[in-house]
Amino acid sequence: MKEAMTSRTVMRAPALALVLALAASGIACTGTIGVAPGGAAGNRGGADASGGNGGPTVVKFTCDASLAPPVIPLRRLSHNQYRNTIIDLVAFATPADALTLAATLESSFAQLPADSRIGPDAKFARFFRLDQAVQQAHIDGGFAVAREVAAALTASAARIKTVIGACATDADAGNDGACLDTFIARFGERALRRPIMTDDVTFYRKPAGAPPFDAADYADVIALLLSAPDLMYLVEHGDDAAPGGTRVPLSAYELASQLSYQFWQTMPDAALLDAARTGALMTQAGYQAQVDRVLADPRTARAMAEFFGQWLENIALEPLDSRAGTPVFDALAGSFKPGPDLRARMLDEVTDSALYYLAGGGTFADVIGSKKSFARTADLATLYGVPVWDGNGEPPSFTDDARVGLLTRAAFLATGSANTRPIMKGVFIRKALLCDTIPPPPGNAAANPPPLSKESSTRQVVESLTGAGICAGCHTTVINPLGFATENFDALGRTRTAQTLYDDVTGHVLGSVPVDTRTIPAIDEGDTRMSAGAGDLTRMIQESAKLNACFARQYFRFTFGRVESDAVDGCALGAIMDTVDQGQPLTSALRAMALHDSFRQRSFR
Amino acid sequence: MKNPIVDTTRTPSRRTILRGAGGFTMALPFLRSLFRHEARAAGVAAPRRFVALATEHGAVWPASMFPPDGALTSSMTYGGHAVRQGTLPLSVAGGVATISPVLSGPSTVLTSRLASKINVVRGLDITWYIAHHQGGHLGNFAQYNHDGAAPSGTLVPMPTIDQVMAWSPSFYGNTSGIRERSLVIGGASLSAGWSSPSTRSGQVQLLNAESNSLTLFNKIFVPSAGPTEVRPPIVDLVREDYLRLRNGNRRLSTEDRRRLDEHVARLDELQRKLSVTGGGGGSACGTIVTPTMSNSQVRGSDFGRNPTSQAQYWRMINDVIVAAFACDTSRIATVRIENDFSTYAGDWHQDVAHKAATTQTAENTLAPASQLFFQGVFLDLISKLDAVQDPGGGGTLLDQTLVQWTQESGPITHDPIDLPVVTAGSAGGFFRTGNLIDYRNMTKVGHKLGQDGSLIQTNVGLVYNQWLGTVLQAMGLARTEYETGDYAGYGCLCLSSSATSWYAGHNKYGTPELSVMGEILPYLKA
Repeated sequence: MKEAMTSRTVMRAPALALVLALAASGIACTGTIGVAPGGAAGNRGGADASGGNGGPTVVKFTCDASLAPPVIPLRRLSHNQYRNTIIDLVAFATPADALTLAATLESSFAQLPADSRIGPDAKFARFFRLDQAVQQAHIDGGFAVAREVAAALTASAARIKTVIGACATDADAGNDGACLDTFIARFGERALRRPIMTDDVTFYRKPAGAPPFDAADYADVIALLLSAPDLMYLVEHGDDAAPGGTRVPLSAYELASQLSYQFWQTMPDAALLDAARTGALMTQAGYQAQVDRVLADPRTARAMAEFFGQWLENIALEPLDSRAGTPVFDALAGSFKPGPDLRARMLDEVTDSALYYLAGGGTFADVIGSKKSFARTADLATLYGVPVWDGNGEPPSFTDDARVGLLTRAAFLATGSANTRPIMKGVFIRKALLCDTIPPPPGNAAANPPPLSKESSTRQVVESLTGAGICAGCHTTVINPLGFATENFDALGRTRTAQTLYDDVTGHVLGSVPVDTRTIPAIDEGDTRMSAGAGDLTRMIQESAKLNACFARQYFRFTFGRVESDAVDGCALGAIMDTVDQGQPLTSALRAMALHDSFRQRSFR
Repeated sequence: MKNPIVDTTRTPSRRTILRGAGGFTMALPFLRSLFRHEARAAGVAAPRRFVALATEHGAVWPASMFPPDGALTSSMTYGGHAVRQGTLPLSVAGGVATISPVLSGPSTVLTSRLASKINVVRGLDITWYIAHHQGGHLGNFAQYNHDGAAPSGTLVPMPTIDQVMAWSPSFYGNTSGIRERSLVIGGASLSAGWSSPSTRSGQVQLLNAESNSLTLFNKIFVPSAGPTEVRPPIVDLVREDYLRLRNGNRRLSTEDRRRLDEHVARLDELQRKLSVTGGGGGSACGTIVTPTMSNSQVRGSDFGRNPTSQAQYWRMINDVIVAAFACDTSRIATVRIENDFSTYAGDWHQDVAHKAATTQTAENTLAPASQLFFQGVFLDLISKLDAVQDPGGGGTLLDQTLVQWTQESGPITHDPIDLPVVTAGSAGGFFRTGNLIDYRNMTKVGHKLGQDGSLIQTNVGLVYNQWLGTVLQAMGLARTEYETGDYAGYGCLCLSSSATSWYAGHNKYGTPELSVMGEILPYLKA
């Protein structure tokens, strides 16, 4: 059955102006702003990268519920999810020692590979969760972690008593067998995230041999449990009661894991396991209740911080102190002394803004258009000219009218140099925020950032470099206008009305030129409306269906660990996009995804 | 419960000292004594070894990177054009030995003996606009940064040649003493391998790189089994657990089972590695003390602008590589070096590397930095390898090894034309050494002087894939083991798709160059 989603449709022909520019330049830049291209050749992982063919950016998703979307086979926990799971298991086993042990285990986790950021674009909006590679280091590191955790949990008689039970350390060796079996059943359900059957108990007690048991016996049993496939992977068989077929509902325990790893980045808690054990999760009401509980839990911020942080990371932002000590940068910075952590603080502010609205019932539009500062440190707050936000309560508002939303946060304005980078600002908006594809630069494009000029503004320099010939096709209409719109901010993200000109050797001030933020952004091809600056640009972006469609794509990728296929994933994509289109709170988008069939079923091929 | 407190950690009982540039220095005379304990049978050929060092950007002007063309004293026609060769020149003045401005160092280290074991090769090209990349060095051309232009061919991820070697029985005939088939080193990875390497199948994925010298040391260090080490590891049970799931009667997809199969194969490899024992038989590592310091401890706040610290950091990596080779617990290392070896404050990538072809100032910054890398890292590694006699005969460890230093680009950043390849060691006598070899076609200009402001001219030459195939053959692999597709050599032969490009090789490779790609490059075979 096909059903049209209510998402807006904007599939316009390429702008005539763009076509003319391309025709004039006669270059390979087609000017087509398309959906993310398939394949991240050479990137790690096996994600299905069939994101599109470079045609016009698709902003309408068609749902065909008869289709069975693919799944990532035997999905591996991300590094963060694995780490969190082990720490939570340690806390389950020995709550009083949890913090101490967690600290000592950090070096153990370093034995497992860090995940790579992967996405359809080689640089922007890439997620750890799409890294599904399994290397030898995962196996070696996982086994080492299991042994080290097991050794820690059996390091003393007192701890064995806590972890295994008093029956393990009492004088009666006759109860050791039953004691160990009980432990395997209790701990195993947590570690394996499924019911522990009799044959499981028999298997996992194998390394202990016959009682009486010593510490090494217990350690081996724990290490075996921590090395189980059910721990490292999201093992899914589907509901055993469901008939065979390509799409099968997940079992109650699998649903519990699906929810906890999606929103908490860790294993299910006791309440989720209870709901799985009782079967409540398999009822619509019971499942919805758990979804709401999970979403309301502060741990949801852990996953959403990863989502927003990785989606919206400005990869062009260099360490803000990388040029400290050079005459031009020091001249620009003046009395402001950026430290090595400022870059991270700028990026964190973007994440904080999203989490703030997520927690407070805000919408995606709020995130895009927010005029509040989430600067938690004095350096960033100084750049904004606002008080430091303590992380609680109402954040201060920007006092400067120029700061009008996400695109005017320092993370998207600062560069780490003395010069702004309007081209990179434009590329970020197109690729990360709108999910447009920009054809690769022509082969003879200079890869250098625009140099500082002694006479001209950065905009003028960029226009001169890219305004004609082979570069013009993409730059003049697709890229540059979006970056020029925020040229009323300097390379540290401070507002300005004029650009100061420097001697690039001595740093001496040579004069200034006015900044010009007027552009025709053409967010949607064919839109010839003029924008006066960041405010208009933000509004036009919000008016475009591309923004919400892009949110849907990015959240889909984060959720399922793969790049969407418009052909078969339209139902899930449309479900997310509809909630955002309707102005519902961000949590509604997350809830819509969690309630969707594609989240609660999987295909077996 | 019986005796609940048993120390299950393994504690090496016999230790001697491996000391290094930072945390530990390899005491070379002592290392020589290690080999008295080697159990390798006389008459068995010493194993060959491979090290790939790769630096970013390149962009060193030929006059800085290479000896003058006057050193090329012989010529032959190959690949449709004249290729040239000469004895590598070495001059000494003021305590500095010089092959070229970049290839220079203290005459006490860069001796005539060591120089005679070096080859300097130029005139090798990647045949499309790969621009910035990590994978091109070792044949996974699909691992590029998309700053360039996609080629016309089908660009698919391929294992890098180090992984082809690592899982080839031709290279590792006997892995009983091998703790790590390969050491993948650096802040990011040069190497890619199969998801199922034992069957050489599955998806190709980047391998995780390790940059901590202490962690690396622990990977290749095989302590002697202590008296309390009686419990066998439970890997066999973990394997059984995976097979319980794999072969159970509950619903799984075909791909689920494939992933489980791959995991089981990895567990087999883990089991194999854990069975490597120290203290006798095949390994001398049981007599080495674990260092107390890692190279991460030399990363001070000024590390990015401190070439001395950077050299020390990588020398500590060198020590681990030499230790691994000396103990024969690994025979392959790939190292991606991301440091600039300069005090330059600012954006090296944009301000120096990208401008080196068009400004003398940038070149004046870049070339000395490359020299510091050569002296501080490359020379350090090969001199250490050359100081250790291989117990299997055939000279020193260096003699049994091929060390290669490659750069991301040729003399012009982004343009993979005239890639410099500096090597040391003969790979067990496979290579002739002490040569300057130039494969450029002097009748085919690549980047023209003045084009896009370039201050240098390039000429196209032979195809880099041929070098990769030559290396694989040097390591004992037959061409049938690695060649795929319509072209020989190793790696995708993907040709440039656009004439409008920085890339200088568009339409400049034809049958003469492509038809010889499977052969060993001229002048190299001993």
